Amino acid sequence: MLEFLRSSAVRVALVFVLVTTLATTAVFVLVYLQIGDANEKRNRLILETEAAKSVNRPVEQLRTAFDVRLTNDLRRIDYAALFNADHKFMFGNIDELPAIPIDGKSHFVGATRVPGSDNRIEPAIFVARQRPDGNIMLLGRSLLETLAFRRIVQRALLAALLPMLLLALATGAYFARRSSRRLTIIHDAIARIMKGDTDLRLPIGSGRDPIDKISRDVNLMLDEIVRLLVQLKGVGDNIAHDLRSPLAVVHAQLERGLESSNDEQLRTIVKQALSHIDKAMLAVAALLRLADVEYSPKSRNFRQIDLSAICADLFEFYEPLAESKSIRMTLESHSPVLILGDGDLMREAVSNLIGNAIKFTPEHGSVSISVIQEDGVPVVRVRDSGIGVEPAERDKIFQRFYRTSSGHRVPGSGLGLSIAAAIANLHEFDLRFSENNPGAVFEMVGRKR
Amino acid sequence: MTNKPEARAQTIVLVEDEQAMADEVKGELESKGYLVRLASIAEAADAARVGDAAMMIMDRIVFGEDSLVMLEALRKEGVKVPVLVISALSSVDEKVKGLKAGGDDYLTKPFAMVELTARVEAMLRRLDDIRTTKLRVGDLEMDLIEKSVHRAGVKIELLPREFRLLEYFLRHPGRVITRAMLLQEVWQYHFSLETNVVDVHISNLRKKIDTKGMPSLIVNIRGAGFMLNANA
Repeated sequence: MLEFLRSSAVRVALVFVLVTTLATTAVFVLVYLQIGDANEKRNRLILETEAAKSVNRPVEQLRTAFDVRLTNDLRRIDYAALFNADHKFMFGNIDELPAIPIDGKSHFVGATRVPGSDNRIEPAIFVARQRPDGNIMLLGRSLLETLAFRRIVQRALLAALLPMLLLALATGAYFARRSSRRLTIIHDAIARIMKGDTDLRLPIGSGRDPIDKISRDVNLMLDEIVRLLVQLKGVGDNIAHDLRSPLAVVHAQLERGLESSNDEQLRTIVKQALSHIDKAMLAVAALLRLADVEYSPKSRNFRQIDLSAICADLFEFYEPLAESKSIRMTLESHSPVLILGDGDLMREAVSNLIGNAIKFTPEHGSVSISVIQEDGVPVVRVRDSGIGVEPAERDKIFQRFYRTSSGHRVPGSGLGLSIAAAIANLHEFDLRFSENNPGAVFEMVGRKR
Repeated sequence: MTNKPEARAQTIVLVEDEQAMADEVKGELESKGYLVRLASIAEAADAARVGDAAMMIMDRIVFGEDSLVMLEALRKEGVKVPVLVISALSSVDEKVKGLKAGGDDYLTKPFAMVELTARVEAMLRRLDDIRTTKLRVGDLEMDLIEKSVHRAGVKIELLPREFRLLEYFLRHPGRVITRAMLLQEVWQYHFSLETNVVDVHISNLRKKIDTKGMPSLIVNIRGAGFMLNANA
């Protein structure tokens, strides 16, 4: 969950929510200000025109007009009053001249006592204008309505903002989850590819979004990498192929030389050379064997074979070797474990595992082999109490020619596990390693269909 | 390890397109007293048909041509000459194919010459004693029907696998037998091993069949394998 919150998708979603909220609020504020403003401007204009129009009217006419206006005013003038030149009230509905300049322009007055009420106060705009007779005419308009309107807009904004915020959050979370789930799938796929499942590709949706585009690019890149890998392996295999005959010939020539010479010094050198050539031939043969297994078409002539029988056979084969090192070897297999496969290849793979286990287990240790059905899949497990594998080396043991630092003292081509892994793969098994504390566990586990 | 040339030199027909390889095989086999004739696929087929060859050694692919086709044709005609197939193709599949087509043995490149000569000698001997029911070397006697082994009249108890191992030696006395041959013939394992497990089996067998104070019946041949001492 924490990781989910930290993901870039979530950050993008949060920014999205923030921006949406800000934009909406800005629109509301603008509307709010615009509406209030326009309303007020209009009111000011009305007041000013009205004041200009009425300024030359006789006083009596004004009085009637005020009455009419105030009771039945179409243009919504709330306040009208006449004051003499000394600012003394003459008639009208407001008895005190507010403190504004007498210039025929509208002015805002924050607190005006509402006439006929007990101290009710409201904001208003007023126009005061000097008449030719020296009296001062005052017209006013309450802003209560404008304020009320503004308050409505305000409330609407608040009421709308919360659901909008939630909606934005939900949308953001949805997209964040969606893209994070896709990223997780891609992450898992890449992890599997890096573990050697080079046939796997990133999933591509139907869409044309950037993730799909990048996935497609990555897949193309993987195709190219695999092509290069195969090419590289081909080069290696070709070299091995071409080395075979010369190696065999040199071997034969040295053997003949050894037979025909009586020079002890020379014979010693030739013997050493022969043992090195033997090693080279072993490696070349193993490399070609590996290539053979890796390139062989899947399930060529697979038959039903019994892993239990194969292990029992190999157990009997290896038991004397284990005994010679005082290693206790046990076999656990209860019933036939049948799979479709190539018996010779499977025998070779299991033989490599058992041979390794005995090789890397010191005297008086133990090696146990079990053949079982586990969680519905066949498993061949070889457990030893040997030197195990250093944590730093665990990823490398299945690589070609890799020999553990401690394994260098033990003869071998370094391809045994690679061959076993290739054979397992051919049978849709996985070869896995785990720690036995002390020692190692190698198991071939059938893949679930 | 040096075997006396046979009284009547046997002709081995060799089909191999790699000159250096052919030279070495030829030299090696000639040093063991065989007559070696290098031949094309067609020439080899003719030699086999007229009974001119004691055995044939064929590379699987000669100048791009699969020699198994010729071998299959020969077998259909009823030609029984022993054939050792040499191949660059090491997969078990290919071995099976080679043997099915009528090859008597299959050797994967690269191999040591001792491996080749050991197999050639085993093959040339093979026909002799298929029907025998008793095998004997010195005072060691094996009864193939009763599945029993006696040494100087004393019964020796052997495990089934030890019995088969000893039987293979008794069928090829005085011949070099490589570890790979034992794996293939006694255990039917068609792969190479990186452990000395075969040696352990041999030494266990020795403990059972040898008499104290006497040289072992099965001797180690350095760099090659083992041999049953035929003169014991």
